Amino acid sequence: MPAKYVIHTKPVAHRFEPITRSGIIAWEEGCLKCPVCVKRQCVYGVYDHRHLDARQMIDSIDNQCMNCLRCVQSCPKELIHKSLNPEYKAIGDAHWTPDIISRLWYQAETGKIPVSGAGYNGPFSGPGFDSMWTDMSEIVRPTRDGIHGREYISTAVDLGRTPRHLLFTRQGDLEGHTPNVLGIPMPILMRLPGFGSISNETVLGWNLAARRLGTLMAVPLELINSGQVEFSRWSIPVITSHESDPGRGLQGAPMVEIPWGEEWKDYRDELTSVEASPLICDKIVLEKGAEEKVLRAVDGGASMIHLEGSMGGRFVDDHSRYIKDGIRSIHLRLVEEGVRDEITLLASGGIAMAEQVAKSVICGADAVFVDFAILIALECRMCRRCTEGLSCPVEIKDAAASWVAERVVNLLGAWHNQLLEVMGAMGIRDARRLRGESGRAMFFEELDRETFSSMGEIQEGCELE
Amino acid sequence: MTGEYRPTVALFYCQNIPQSSEDHRRVLEKKYGQSMRLFPIPCSGRLEPIHLLRALEEFAEAAYVVTCPEGACRYLEGNRRAMKRVQRTQDIISSIGLEKERVGIIIESSEAPEPLGQLAERLLERALKLAPSPVLKGAMTTKEHPSP
Repeated sequence: MPAKYVIHTKPVAHRFEPITRSGIIAWEEGCLKCPVCVKRQCVYGVYDHRHLDARQMIDSIDNQCMNCLRCVQSCPKELIHKSLNPEYKAIGDAHWTPDIISRLWYQAETGKIPVSGAGYNGPFSGPGFDSMWTDMSEIVRPTRDGIHGREYISTAVDLGRTPRHLLFTRQGDLEGHTPNVLGIPMPILMRLPGFGSISNETVLGWNLAARRLGTLMAVPLELINSGQVEFSRWSIPVITSHESDPGRGLQGAPMVEIPWGEEWKDYRDELTSVEASPLICDKIVLEKGAEEKVLRAVDGGASMIHLEGSMGGRFVDDHSRYIKDGIRSIHLRLVEEGVRDEITLLASGGIAMAEQVAKSVICGADAVFVDFAILIALECRMCRRCTEGLSCPVEIKDAAASWVAERVVNLLGAWHNQLLEVMGAMGIRDARRLRGESGRAMFFEELDRETFSSMGEIQEGCELE
Repeated sequence: MTGEYRPTVALFYCQNIPQSSEDHRRVLEKKYGQSMRLFPIPCSGRLEPIHLLRALEEFAEAAYVVTCPEGACRYLEGNRRAMKRVQRTQDIISSIGLEKERVGIIIESSEAPEPLGQLAERLLERALKLAPSPVLKGAMTTKEHPSP
């Protein structure tokens, strides 16, 4: 058995104070000047260490407060209030919610799994990945020594076309080429997010992280040519325009990504004929008719397909359909056609939580690309000011590459641990076995149908008496 | 900037005044760039003298507060507290020899509230009349030549 894959994390401080969920409001007027002020009794001493960060105009009290509400409860004149921060509620959007973003910040900072406290007070189902539950029936006892103990759970996955069978010569040697398969230690690849105030230093940091994690980072070909050559072994050049000489500039990258389409056919053939040709991943945008496109791509000899959803985790053209459903239907279609095992299916678009990696894999993806999550690891607030040419509130482009790398390693370290937890709880010891394992998951829509369909359909707009 | 004096203004404003949403803020930021630092606050009552003082100390030639109309505070008396605090800040800065005018409060009128954009324009003009802040000059030199 290969050595265990462990991601070593260490806390990395933030550069800017994160936006907190709530804030303390303490009126000074009306203060009785009690001899025993509740502010002095704060067990965390936040009133004593209180200071103001003039660059951000942020009071340190809100970031240090542990929400014990002791001061709020015991001020005799009730001068201290705690209130939800409107700025917090305003960050992100419907998919990248404030809670998701702040948990990503936490994971990037500490490298630890976020724990929300005792019990679960959230909803039991929701849209998208939230309508899917993983079967954790294998939790019968705590593991003897935790996820990093003796139990061996492999998260490694293979990328590339696997042959249906091997042919041997009479002498027992393999006939033909050895299949070109690339192993990565976890089903997570990285790719450049669609926007962001990033610089070469940021990309360098992501490359460093990819190298440390042993995974791959998809970046436009131009960026690889401009001084990132040493990381080419851990990068996926993304080609968007026809190069005159296809093999040029790849610098030994193990895999390239090109858009799928008729006009790219010749280019593909040329790429395959290059010496030490890289694996080719065809990008298909997740939209209406993507299923047929995937089937045609497989017929045309594609070995890897990257399904690209929108940054909100949905179909690019239809906001009511989620990538979860897209991956699942395409996976099942490929199974029907009997070709699923030959190709590698990658998915991207709005992967925001570790559980979504596991759920994507259960739906049928071999691995996923994360994009905005690695930007949020760098304290991005998804305010989209950079798309308007305004300054970044957290100055991401000025961050040092080493800091970027450590934050991303922390985030993906935490995600890897969560993947191990989920797989351990489901009784699956190999990420390759998790793929398409929908028997270990429950889908809300299906359960709903199974349970209530016999009672007839409720018409839209019908009022129950 | 060739010798032209461009003061930096810190503008704290209550988020309940007209045209003070994030979109409006972005428009103003595009227009004024570095010469206007905008700080939206849920209620002007959140503001403490220290906020204004730190702004004057770190980057601003002048710091202004814009509050909602009197009697219209969503949190009952936030704007009245802000008024008192601005007065206190003015006392503090004049006691150390700074002009009182570096700190000011603008209370929106309830009949004809002025949009944030217009206010910003007016306040920037007001700040132009002030001489470069001696505090800031000191801060600059200490930054450039850090003392051992």
